[in-house]
Amino acid sequence: MMENAWLIPLFPLVSFVILLLFGKRLKEAGAYVGILMTLASLVFSILVLFERFSEPSYIQKFEWLKIGDVSLTAGFEVNQLNALMLFIVSLVSFLVHTYSKGYMHGDGRFPVFYAYLGLFTFAMLGLVISPNLLQTYMFWELVGLGSFLLIGFYFYKEEAKAAAKKAFIMTRIGDVGLFIGMILLFWKTGSFEYSEIFSAVEAGGISQTMITLTAILIFIGAVGKSGQFPLHTWLPDAMEGPTPVSALIHAATMVAAGVYLVATMFPLFAASKTALLTVATIGAFTAIFAASIGLVQTDIKRVLAYSTVSQLGYMMLALGSAGYVAGVFHLMTHAFFKALLFLAAGSVIHAVHTQNIEEMGGLWKKLKWTAPLFLIGTLAISGVPLLSGFFSKDEILVAAWEGGHPILFVLALIAAFMTAFYMFRLFFMVFTGEARGNQNHVHESPGSMTLPMLVLGVLAIISGYVNTPWFGSFLGDWLVDGNEKLGHGHMEGPIWIMIAATVVSLAGIYLAWLIYGKRSVSRNWLSGSGDTLHTILYNKYYVDEFYQMTVVAVTKGISYFLRFIDVFLVGGIVKGVVGFVQGLGATGSKLQNGQVQTYAAVAFVGLAILTVIFALTGGYLQ
Amino acid sequence: MSADTFQSINWSILTPEFIILGVIAILILLDLFMPKTLSRKILGWIGIAAILAALIFTLNMAGGPVRTILDNTFRVDSFAIAFKSLLLVGAALVMFLATSYETKAGLERYEAEFYYIFLSALLGAMVMTSSGDLITLYVGLELLSIPSYILAGMRKFDSKSNEAAMKYVISGGISSAIALFGMSYVYGIAGSTDLIEIASKLSMLADGQQAYLLGLAFLMIFVGLAFKISAAPFHMWAPDVYQGAPTPVTAFLSVVSKTAGFVIVIRVLLTVFGAAASNGPNSMPIIMNMQDYIAVIAGATMIIGNVVALKQSDIKRMFAYSSIAHAGYLLVAVTSLSANMFYSIWFYLLAYLLMNLGAFAVIQVVSEKSGSTKIADFAGLYRRSPVLAVAMGILLISLAGFPGTAGFIGKLNIFAGAFAGDPHYVLASVMIATTVVSYFYYFGVMTQMFFRPAEDESKFNLPFGIIIVLIVAVAGSILFGLMPNLALDFMNNHLDILNDFFGQ
Repeated sequence: MMENAWLIPLFPLVSFVILLLFGKRLKEAGAYVGILMTLASLVFSILVLFERFSEPSYIQKFEWLKIGDVSLTAGFEVNQLNALMLFIVSLVSFLVHTYSKGYMHGDGRFPVFYAYLGLFTFAMLGLVISPNLLQTYMFWELVGLGSFLLIGFYFYKEEAKAAAKKAFIMTRIGDVGLFIGMILLFWKTGSFEYSEIFSAVEAGGISQTMITLTAILIFIGAVGKSGQFPLHTWLPDAMEGPTPVSALIHAATMVAAGVYLVATMFPLFAASKTALLTVATIGAFTAIFAASIGLVQTDIKRVLAYSTVSQLGYMMLALGSAGYVAGVFHLMTHAFFKALLFLAAGSVIHAVHTQNIEEMGGLWKKLKWTAPLFLIGTLAISGVPLLSGFFSKDEILVAAWEGGHPILFVLALIAAFMTAFYMFRLFFMVFTGEARGNQNHVHESPGSMTLPMLVLGVLAIISGYVNTPWFGSFLGDWLVDGNEKLGHGHMEGPIWIMIAATVVSLAGIYLAWLIYGKRSVSRNWLSGSGDTLHTILYNKYYVDEFYQMTVVAVTKGISYFLRFIDVFLVGGIVKGVVGFVQGLGATGSKLQNGQVQTYAAVAFVGLAILTVIFALTGGYLQ
Repeated sequence: MSADTFQSINWSILTPEFIILGVIAILILLDLFMPKTLSRKILGWIGIAAILAALIFTLNMAGGPVRTILDNTFRVDSFAIAFKSLLLVGAALVMFLATSYETKAGLERYEAEFYYIFLSALLGAMVMTSSGDLITLYVGLELLSIPSYILAGMRKFDSKSNEAAMKYVISGGISSAIALFGMSYVYGIAGSTDLIEIASKLSMLADGQQAYLLGLAFLMIFVGLAFKISAAPFHMWAPDVYQGAPTPVTAFLSVVSKTAGFVIVIRVLLTVFGAAASNGPNSMPIIMNMQDYIAVIAGATMIIGNVVALKQSDIKRMFAYSSIAHAGYLLVAVTSLSANMFYSIWFYLLAYLLMNLGAFAVIQVVSEKSGSTKIADFAGLYRRSPVLAVAMGILLISLAGFPGTAGFIGKLNIFAGAFAGDPHYVLASVMIATTVVSYFYYFGVMTQMFFRPAEDESKFNLPFGIIIVLIVAVAGSILFGLMPNLALDFMNNHLDILNDFFGQ
């Protein structure tokens, strides 16, 4: 089966092509094309995953391109991490495809939406089976393009258009880091192949500085894709896309790609303490930073978006603390419960037609399926014992503690408290209390939407049991099997960590209940402690404004400056000279403000400058 | 020349040139004697047939030894074959565009003129690829340039077109003068116009003073030739001329003419200055000392092209700046002087030819319909014509260098070359940074096409020529993006540029 793994990404590609060509004729029946194709991917992925349990990794490649004397290969690889990712991505994608049939019903561009979903799924599946950095990079960019199309799907909304562009450009900034890191690695090791890079690192073929540098550059790519501080601002804005897209992109796939990249390159990171520490610090900081913003947001999807940023920070913290298994484990459980939360949120939005939680309330009885499923997701992400999030979060906390980062450990613990608080704030405000908005036409969503949520709900509960301190660490042992560089399958941590995690999570829930459920504590307690704090949090620490003032302004400035030189300054020098061209007629000249004398002058000045430099340096710049 | 000598010359290596020359003559006569009422389209098709025939003969010569005639003034080596094929492919596609060019400004009256003047320019470019002598090189250059000036002013009653032609003539004249002045230094020192002979003489150059003069000559030739490839500081004519000229001519200038420009840059700079000793015999060649100057020009070209393109609201002006930017990328390859240089430049020019000509095909259709060349005219193109929009989308991402397209492989080759040998970190960073900048303006057009509502919903009729160009361009951009080895194998199996280039 594993030798046919290359088929898995092709199914969604076929769906994309079919829908692109015949979408207009198929109309909403196009959904079945997408659903069937992703189902095929899912079935193959499951078969591959089970085969990988018992058999060794499989790699297949062929020569693709020769640059100079180096030949580059392309192909695919199935190892533990890849097999797991294939399963996660194809499962969530399949469920989102099914869910969208109900959610997007009636949209004029229904087939286009499914086509984009197909393209995106293809790119993501292609990414996770790539056997070398270059191929990963190519799919990495394709994932960015797919997300650009999906986020901007409601292009008639100004915000959506802006968000799509922002997501694309922001992640591009990270991609530049990845690209340079990749080229440097290629230049030092002569290969893009993961295995050859790692063996070169192990053999000491690369200097320690270079390892740190390349690892951090690659991490910058991951920072962009996974919405880590300071490149996180695109992720909440990207909520302008349709909700199923949020579930697909912002729970299980694109944002997880950054974590996946760090996990894949883990042996490189492991070779540099500095790089690991950077990853851990950025991760822990992002976790608490985003969680604190999530405390005060009033848009249901934005709360979830910030919680995603925060949870991705957790995964980075785990990887940075050398907790390879913990990071991948949380990546998996998070994919399930966060996709569940997004889909449930979409179901709520579908019912009440607003995203503002201030206008919701009292939906528990009206949404008989959605509400309990949302509660399951909330419990899981809050780290309540016996649900999946509890086990994976515990693993991360143990990793941070055992990794020797007590400060980061405390930050993570506080972030866990905040997570429990804001998630239950969300839950209480949406589902309990009085209805605050118009809820006359509220109805439960169709089966095509509740069924995928049900599947994810079950997984959100049970998926943690593959790796527990009590019933054995099956997942962990399997992930690191045959590769001791990845660390241990399971880390034995002191029991008090588990207890502490439980306590903070329950405390967060209790506080949320006091304020938003029972209402015995004033809702304004946070703003009461100082308006400034609330304003800062509500405005997301003014990071966007900071970018607006610095990066954007500088870029604009440079482009204005150069335009100024190109048109006005040089044009001014010869202003007054009656242009030959001007004589040709006012119409033409008005359209073309450039004068040919200027052009010649620039060329001569350019030549003169070069000649003067040449003369001054004695001819040779040696 | 006696009849015997005349017959002993191996004229057959000139076959492609003779075909084009012959067809020019035939077209002129046909135009003269054909009834005025008959459409001249047929002449365009004859021209295309001639170009394809010349292409076949050119490719047939691949794999043979270096052949020279007429005292080494005309040579057929792998370099000539590789770049001549590029020129011919590009020219054929431009001819397809031209046969589909319908405009209200009225080009019909001069349609036939367009075809044979265009073929004359092509002939000049072909001669340039095969020149082994400064004189033939210069004659080829002028044979390319003078018809180009006329082409830019083809729409005689359109003042913009007139203005474009005028600016082009003046800038071109100045540039030729500068380059020629530089070449006169080379001739003065070496005492020969034969490139190979110059190379062997200059490699024994013992006088440091003369090496200094050669340095000056290098700068002058390079700046003068920068005009043809629209590199800084001789780039400023490009936006005005591109905007004013008829679209097929713009396409010709940005692709065929630029390719020819790179041919002459490589031929002159590498043969002459790649051999000339900087400090006594067996010392480092002058070109190694001048690397930093090429790097500065490459960097400036990339920055100016990409940054100023951001501000454009006219699609043809934007593509003018984008073509300046691409010249900058190509100059990075020239700077690096790696063993892979010929191949990476050739491949990049191939990719650039496909994606740029394809884009101009779309521009031509859209601007003919709307009667203007504003970027805003592309709004809602996806709704009006999904085929055009998707094709343009693919070509744009290839221009931006997105993975999976020929543009990416081209950039990757150049980028890897910049790290080979002595790494050029700064230049490579500028290249990366400006590539990111280019995403903004290419995606600006994408946003217009896919995310903006259309102002009018009228549909497009795609002429046959446009369809051909689009199919070739889109298929090529993807094919060479996914299977770049196809081009490489052709290169490796038939051509050995590196050995041929400096050989007799």
